[in-house]
Amino acid sequence: MRFKPNKIKSEDGSSVDIVLIACTLFLTAIGLISIYSASYDAGGSVFFQRQLMWAILGCIGMAIMFFISPRIIEMLAIVAHLAILGVLAVVPFLGKTVAGTTAWLDLGPFSFQPSEVAKITTILVLALYLSKKNSNIKSFKTLFIAGLIVAFPMGLVLMQADVGTSLIFFLMYIPVVYWAGASPFVVLILVAPFFVGLASLIGTTALLIALGILLVALLLIRENGFLSAVVFGLNSAVAVSVQFFYERLAQHQQMRIANFLDPGSDPLGIGYNVIQSKVAIGSGGLTGKGFLNGTQTQLNFIPAQWTDFIFCVPGEEFGFVGASLVIILLGILFLRGIRIASVVKSKFASLVTIGFIGILFFHTIINIGMTIGLMPVIGIPLPFLSYGGSALFSKMIMIGMLSAFYLNRKEYS
Amino acid sequence: MGNGHFGTGSRKKIFNAVIVIALLVMIGRLYQLQFVYQDEWGKKSRDNSVRTIAIEPVRGLIYDRRGRLIVDNRPSYTVTVTPNEFRYEIIPDLAMLLGLDEQVLRNRIDRARQWSRFAPSKINRDVDFEVIVHLEEFRDRYPGVGYVVEAKRHYTPRARMSHVLGYTNEVSERQLSRHPDIYYPGDLVGAAGIEATYENVLRGERGFEYVVVNARGQFVAQFAEGQRNTPAGEGSDLFLTIDAELQAQAEELLGDRRGSIVAIDPQTGGILALVSKPDYDLSNFSGVTPPEIWSALNADTSRPLFNRAVASIYPPGSTYKMVLAAAALEEGIIHENWTVNCPGFFRLGRGVYRCHRPEGHGRVNVVEAIQKSCNVYFYQLILNVGFERWSRYGRLFGFGRRTGIGSIEETPGILPDADYYDRVYGVGQWTRGNLISLAIGQGEVSVTPLQMAVYAMLLANKGKLHQPHLVSHTYDTHSRTIFELPYNTEEIVLSEKTWDLIRTGMNKVVDADGGTGRGAQIRGIKSAGKTGTSQNPHGEGHAWYVGFAPYDNPHIAIAVIIENVGFGGRHAAPVAGRLVDQYLKSIVIRDAPQRTIPVMYDRTATGNDER
Repeated sequence: MRFKPNKIKSEDGSSVDIVLIACTLFLTAIGLISIYSASYDAGGSVFFQRQLMWAILGCIGMAIMFFISPRIIEMLAIVAHLAILGVLAVVPFLGKTVAGTTAWLDLGPFSFQPSEVAKITTILVLALYLSKKNSNIKSFKTLFIAGLIVAFPMGLVLMQADVGTSLIFFLMYIPVVYWAGASPFVVLILVAPFFVGLASLIGTTALLIALGILLVALLLIRENGFLSAVVFGLNSAVAVSVQFFYERLAQHQQMRIANFLDPGSDPLGIGYNVIQSKVAIGSGGLTGKGFLNGTQTQLNFIPAQWTDFIFCVPGEEFGFVGASLVIILLGILFLRGIRIASVVKSKFASLVTIGFIGILFFHTIINIGMTIGLMPVIGIPLPFLSYGGSALFSKMIMIGMLSAFYLNRKEYS
Repeated sequence: MGNGHFGTGSRKKIFNAVIVIALLVMIGRLYQLQFVYQDEWGKKSRDNSVRTIAIEPVRGLIYDRRGRLIVDNRPSYTVTVTPNEFRYEIIPDLAMLLGLDEQVLRNRIDRARQWSRFAPSKINRDVDFEVIVHLEEFRDRYPGVGYVVEAKRHYTPRARMSHVLGYTNEVSERQLSRHPDIYYPGDLVGAAGIEATYENVLRGERGFEYVVVNARGQFVAQFAEGQRNTPAGEGSDLFLTIDAELQAQAEELLGDRRGSIVAIDPQTGGILALVSKPDYDLSNFSGVTPPEIWSALNADTSRPLFNRAVASIYPPGSTYKMVLAAAALEEGIIHENWTVNCPGFFRLGRGVYRCHRPEGHGRVNVVEAIQKSCNVYFYQLILNVGFERWSRYGRLFGFGRRTGIGSIEETPGILPDADYYDRVYGVGQWTRGNLISLAIGQGEVSVTPLQMAVYAMLLANKGKLHQPHLVSHTYDTHSRTIFELPYNTEEIVLSEKTWDLIRTGMNKVVDADGGTGRGAQIRGIKSAGKTGTSQNPHGEGHAWYVGFAPYDNPHIAIAVIIENVGFGGRHAAPVAGRLVDQYLKSIVIRDAPQRTIPVMYDRTATGNDER
């Protein structure tokens, strides 16, 4: 390892991205405060203490990563990834089940979620493959192999019945290949069916609008006319089949979908969490009800609020100011990430950075979106805020790596 | 990506744009929720609050040995306050409604606030139904004020049984801090008697219900469809060994006199009746005990709260003579024909000790000495037996140690031995003269009425000593299981001859001419007993009687003491006789199919009312 912290002498001579680190620590602190409040009556300070311990471990991990050269990470990526795939493969058989998902390994005093680490190593291997000289992002073969790299751990996570995390694996593929140079057409192919399918469930008007937007997008991209026609045709087929399958779903499954579209249709049943979290946030007003004074939070309206619904706590107790602060801090962090991705000379480091920011971004919009009723309820944590040791730790490791990339940004690999 | 280095250009701008737009959409949505719809959501938040309602477990019921209900529960209304919703301005109104002092109410609400701001705390127990009606009618005026229906103890009028049952009381600060998971402020806990001893069995387990209520505190729905609710676990029922009828008769026979009666089933050690007089009215303790009743009970010099049966000690008087006789016979110091001449007094050194009959009993053997309660015989006997043996046999017969009835108040009494006298008088400072008093159960030797009843059981059983107990079994209403409560049994092995001589003497006390306890005689039943009068420097002696019946197959052993009335033969023996008589009649009538009652019982006997 060549350790040269003072070698950077560019137009911007700084060696540490202070803003990135500051946002991370600030968000983690807000998370700790929120966890303390959410679990105040429901089991005491155990949650808070555990999270605090993990936050301290995370800071240490972040500092260590800062001093590890991107070259070392590049060298170790495949070995680490294979090891974690091995662990992932045994989790469904050895892991412990929490809320229907078998994603945790019990390691004595603490349990550990290997899928959190798998996200990191998958991104490393994907970036390694796409940064190799002989890969051609414009070719179908390269896109396909890159897809396999992601699909394999995604399948293993799906075996743990962890739908939310496997969705993240799928989503994080998109920004990485796009950053690597894939055509917008590829992105459109991957993204369009979701929107078209969703629109067809909402209604005919929405469907027509969605298909219209798709048509305009295809015309703008001006890819091969035949392929464009095929894509449009396939998406129309998705719309029809969604309708077709919806009619044939069991009633409770229909209800679950109907509930996402209109949570008010069953306020004490499936839509309960969403309504309660909206009530909690909505009742917060400009500055909130004050620390430990959120009635919805303190009365434990929302089951296990300190994990997936943690955003309700700043929303209710600190109001619009608190909730916006969280969003703005995350936004600054993402934008700093994009900046790092564009200043580093190493293609590998740049792609890894985009992958990490992609993970954090999708976690954020899905999680906050669900608590404010813009997204269906998918159980994934809010970065830095939700209770969960391995999630917090792995995200701080990501920030540590990004800092190391920034430090070594002049290096080509 | 040929231009410049990796990742610049339009793609960076697109990424930045996606991030900014996504986050702006979220902030916009927050604005919409928290400003545009804030009134609506805020109202919803106030409308929909979850209340945790503790479901109080029903305290176990108490039955007597025949399955007659003695203690059950009646509904009682307790007013609660949820501090977070409560407004201090309404304290004057609420205090007036509840009939409480404003400052007292304020203190209680402050204490509740310290415990939990969001959960209702009990503020005032056992309020009138009219108060609840008023609260219901004017809910808007009393934010945060609610009520729960609780059970309060209700006592059937069969018997008072104050000292057996004991009472419940509001949980103390100390208990609260020691068991915060079990007790909440305002809970009732057993504070005396069986209620205290069997608190863990009777209490049951608290349940919880989570309901969604609206702004007016009205029920909207079960929270989470009731999936988080936990039902309360009822307390177990207790089945006592007490015979409520016998208990009532014993209470009535003692009447206003101070004293105690303990009756035991010698076949099991189960207590049939346990009376301590004066006693108190338990119904005063079922809801809130008014402070004036407390202070009156505590100030009463006759100490009604004090359980004399287990906690008072008295010299046993002549009833103790069988211990000395047993020691002498068993150790081979005397035989049945060994006699002492009683001239009416006994001389030791310069001291003269009198027999209770001035003209003397003449020459008496051991049986006659017990029958006539001759003091001179036993003065001589203790000098022959010696202090060590006397003490050892006393301990063997259950004195100077707790019986193990399970009452926290129980005292072991005093059984002197040489060490004890060395401590009290100093080594070498006491003489054989001190023993003379002990020979007739006076002086330092002190016993509880319960110990005397156990002693009577031991004599009835020829040495078999069961641990006395009040509860035979518990019944778990949830699992529908009966748990028999075990008890210990000791066996004091003395020769058959020894038992025969002592018991013959005791039979003659009751049934033969010249016996001191003829007042305890039961027509048609051979029985046995011993009278005693415990000397008391403050006035008349305490009247003692211990006995058992029927002689050959005893079903009841009894000890009676009546304070400051004089001779045991005149005052205590008739009380014991009547109780034993009525009890034996009642078990013949009720239990004939199950129990074998000696044929000598004359069913046509009408009792001893003429006495």
